[in-house]
Amino acid sequence: MSPGAAAPLIEFREVHKAFDGKPVLRGMNLTVGKGEILFIIGTSGVGKSVTIKHLVGFLRIDTGEIWFDGKRVDQLDEKGFYAVRRRVGMVFQNATLFDSMTLAENVALPLRKHKKLRHTSALAEAMGRLEQVYLTGFSDRYPAELSDGMRTRAALARTLTMDPEVVLFDEPTTGLDPVNARRIDRLILELSRNLGVTAVVVSHDLASIFSIADRVAFLYQGRVHAVGTPAELRDSPDPIVQQFIQGQSSGPMETPGF
Amino acid sequence: MIGERAINAVGTRAVAVSREIGGITILFAQILRALLPPRLDGRELVKNLHKMGNRSVPIVALTAFFTGGLMVVQAAPFVQRLQATSLAGWAAGYAVLREVGPILIALMFSGRVGANNTAELGTMTVTEQLDGLRALAIDPIRYLIVPRVVAMMVMLVCLTCIGDLIALAGAMLVAKGVLDIEFGIMYASFVENLSPADFLHGIYKSIAFGLSIAVTSCYFGVTVRGGAVGVGRAVNAAVVAAAVSIMLLDFFLTYLNV
Repeated sequence: MSPGAAAPLIEFREVHKAFDGKPVLRGMNLTVGKGEILFIIGTSGVGKSVTIKHLVGFLRIDTGEIWFDGKRVDQLDEKGFYAVRRRVGMVFQNATLFDSMTLAENVALPLRKHKKLRHTSALAEAMGRLEQVYLTGFSDRYPAELSDGMRTRAALARTLTMDPEVVLFDEPTTGLDPVNARRIDRLILELSRNLGVTAVVVSHDLASIFSIADRVAFLYQGRVHAVGTPAELRDSPDPIVQQFIQGQSSGPMETPGF
Repeated sequence: MIGERAINAVGTRAVAVSREIGGITILFAQILRALLPPRLDGRELVKNLHKMGNRSVPIVALTAFFTGGLMVVQAAPFVQRLQATSLAGWAAGYAVLREVGPILIALMFSGRVGANNTAELGTMTVTEQLDGLRALAIDPIRYLIVPRVVAMMVMLVCLTCIGDLIALAGAMLVAKGVLDIEFGIMYASFVENLSPADFLHGIYKSIAFGLSIAVTSCYFGVTVRGGAVGVGRAVNAAVVAAAVSIMLLDFFLTYLNV
């Protein structure tokens, strides 16, 4: 049995979301189990990022319910979501490091704000945190001077200062070279196996999916079209799933704008 | 119909302006709420005080010096015709302290500091750095906006005080150079004809100007939409809005004679 089936930590129930009248999520159901690495995959614009942004309150659902650790969260106000965000960290696609600060200062900020550390001790701890993501020696560089992969890793270090139970990754390996992409995969795997952190990864990087995912949810036309282990998905007889996994340009899949 | 279209255009514009005034009011209320209790981020406050205040001294000094001098040059023909040298200080000082000093310094401050602030916050908004803060459970209003508003208000008042002094010095120097009025006579004219109320009248205005520059520049910064073009538009709107509000506030504060 996959870990997701045991006790869902996160649950999306019949979630609908439209932008300017254009429906993106159309009755999406999804559960995430404690400690698992769940990948949300699908073509661009299908609502993968939209899905995870709802969990931390960056977007509001139209109808449906979202549950986190036994509590309904979709109706919280901005202030209420701060409690959720302390437990659910998010690593954005473009890292969103503060470009006026060095890497160490970036990582030190949440330590200062939430753990009430003084600036110097926060910086000292930030060094250690950067070491964990293999960025020793880059602590006094500014984000603009680094590669995308390094920025993503620094953003992960910054998120981990909050000791989150869940980390949401929005396309962490998109645009990275294969070596750096696999390094990110390894960090996500370490996070899950060593610290018991639940990881929800939005991605269409097939190499990541088949190397580290516990379960994969395939989003299509606003719903979870198929969900299962990577092996189950690979062996799925569903032609739409097969078209995505094999990356064929033609097939039964309907994509907007093509 | 041309008439119909004109009415339509006026209406659309009125709705847009109302929406922005509403947005600014809401932001102002959020800032006030974040100030209770006043838990300011010390590092952000000091950084902004320095950047916005100390570095504005040269431009303010230059503006103030010539403003003071100019008042004397304008008054020169009348002073000479009436041989009223003892009133030259009153003419320059009264205008500088109550009116042109606070206004010109506020406009320079808006152009230098307000525009910079809008561009910086706008860039942070379009690169999702504000969402990055929210994801770390740090309130952008409390952490980013409030220190900026406080720094701008404090620094505009300080700069107005410095500017007043430099403007009076400028008036004395120009009076000596153009009208050959001794420093002592100008000084006596200041002391006899100007009261603390004149100085305070200008300071009250600069508090109001500082607040309006701060809130409008932050508002247009955090509401940027649409990349680099959007940032440009926001800076433009912020400078215009600040200038208009400075003029309106000046009129009403003078009218009410606070």
